[in-house]
Amino acid sequence: MSDGRAWQGNVKARLYERVRERGYDSLTAFAEARPTASLVELAEELGPDDIVGVQVFSGLLAEAERRKQVTRLVRSVLVRMLFQSLPEGWPSVMDDANRFNVAKALGAWFGYTPETHEARAEQAMAALRATPPPPGWRPLGPDDELLLSLMPDEEA
Amino acid sequence: MTSRSLVVLLVLALLSNGCAPLTPPPGRGTHLRYTHGEGAMAAWAGSTDEPTLLESEGPQRLNRLQGAREAVGPGGAEAPEWQSTLAAHLALLRAVDEVSASTRSVSRELSRLRASQQGIAGAGNGLFVRYVEYGERQLLWMDAELAAAARLATAASQVEEPGMQLALLHLAGPRLEAAMMGSLLLAVWCDFLRLTDDVLSRRFYSVERLFMDMDRFQKMLEPAMKALASLEPAQVEATADDVPALVGHLTGEFEALRETVRRGAENLQKALVLKESVEALTLVSALKFTLPALRAAAPATLGTGFMVGSGGVMMGTRMVVSAEWVEMMRRLVRAGVLSLPAVSAAVRIQAGQVMMAHGELPRGVREALGEGPEVRAMRVTGRTGAGMARRPRHHVMPEEFREWFEQRGFTGEMDIDQFCVRLEQAHHQAIHGGGNWKLGRTWPGEWNRMIMEALSKAESRTGRMLTPSEVLGTVAKRMQDYGIPMKFIPWRGR
Repeated sequence: MSDGRAWQGNVKARLYERVRERGYDSLTAFAEARPTASLVELAEELGPDDIVGVQVFSGLLAEAERRKQVTRLVRSVLVRMLFQSLPEGWPSVMDDANRFNVAKALGAWFGYTPETHEARAEQAMAALRATPPPPGWRPLGPDDELLLSLMPDEEA
Repeated sequence: MTSRSLVVLLVLALLSNGCAPLTPPPGRGTHLRYTHGEGAMAAWAGSTDEPTLLESEGPQRLNRLQGAREAVGPGGAEAPEWQSTLAAHLALLRAVDEVSASTRSVSRELSRLRASQQGIAGAGNGLFVRYVEYGERQLLWMDAELAAAARLATAASQVEEPGMQLALLHLAGPRLEAAMMGSLLLAVWCDFLRLTDDVLSRRFYSVERLFMDMDRFQKMLEPAMKALASLEPAQVEATADDVPALVGHLTGEFEALRETVRRGAENLQKALVLKESVEALTLVSALKFTLPALRAAAPATLGTGFMVGSGGVMMGTRMVVSAEWVEMMRRLVRAGVLSLPAVSAAVRIQAGQVMMAHGELPRGVREALGEGPEVRAMRVTGRTGAGMARRPRHHVMPEEFREWFEQRGFTGEMDIDQFCVRLEQAHHQAIHGGGNWKLGRTWPGEWNRMIMEALSKAESRTGRMLTPSEVLGTVAKRMQDYGIPMKFIPWRGR
């Protein structure tokens, strides 16, 4: 994936061809079947040599926009980022290292949040700071209760 | 093989029989050392045995690396990558340490010569001091590059992503390489200065002629030194190929100068004194391996061959470089930190006249030093392969936020200009949100916006400035998302 091949040819066609080959009718369905996988892991499964994570994300966003499920996608991205940075769940002791691990996940999440949802993401971050989740909290999908309370669906 | 080089070989074989230990010396056995009988080979190992800063920090770094490795968690799928990166990291620290030992010993020698009232400092109204100063200036840039390489190695040990660790070691490599080649040349220069000092203090030779000779030698050395100090990869690589021949040439000059001094002295009944001084001059550089002894060579049976033995690289019965050194270099070459031409050049210089004159090392030796199909391929793609050289460079840490990064420690060898990547036009457009590949209507993932959002949010949430390793770790993760190769090249001009 480092030789630029991922950006040659028809990216969209390739992405959907791989998704269908794996028995899914949408990228969203493929990704939701792997709710804690990172973007890189999703991309590696679809095409280790010619698909990269950010393309998967772009595809997911396109589908979410059509289905009016962007909020759900935003939650699912947070799940993936938290799982990467905090595999043991929300830390029980908030020392400097753990504070950075939390911050790293939230920062990365924010980086991938569409502008339409930035304000809500800010609110969610503030809420997480004001009322920290219980130690060990580790959402395993976009339907996690606490996560839903932080950022409920409003589109559907 | 010319009869002359045969004689050299014979002499070498004879001389080395008595003094080359076949096993590495005790003590700092894991460190680079040319195991020549006279002890430390100053051009590399110096003579100090006190632990250096780098050495004493070694275990701590190792622990940090191991700690970081454990933090990756179970699974162990990443273990091989971690292990080879760890090995390359340790080899790099060791190599930096060894070259530093060499520059330190040259530094001591230069200080001594600078103060030599009988010789360099006193003769010709201090005319010769400029040649010592020339050496000192070279020492300055070498020490600076070695320090930068050491700092990059430290940064590598603090970053968690193995890809970024290796990328940082790759940034350190060219600096080490330039200093390593430079230190070999500097040791040769140091030998010239010592000869000069000796000749001056005993008034064996015309001061004017010696001054002109030294001027000529310096001019021979200068282009190579300049090229190395520039750190321009193409220049350094070309110079590495040339350095053995240059040292070979300087060896000839050194020999000729000694011979002239000797002939002059014969008439002045100084021959006896001379025998004790100039001929017995202990050389610090590779010259001592290559100079034919002034005394007549006794016949000897020649059983030479240039090969890899259990103790290291051997030439006949003389050890050229130790097995530890070979292993250290192999790791660095295989990890792509040092280039094979540079390492080969170092070995050829150590091997002496024959190898300096005749191009390539034997295949077995090259393979021991890490040559293989992957390394060759790495070199090709690293230069012009696949049109890489023509692809434009891009900062991964956005230039418009230079100040933000500077405030967080990205200065000097860590300047954001050091962290550029080459990308295909389509790839570059894509990561900045261009092109027609996008699927979504809105695009939050434009690289500069995304990475700065991620960093600034992470920082405000952490409640303090991020450290360079935290920044690099974040950048590394997102580079993976974007499929950006973790191979940095410096930005040079516009």
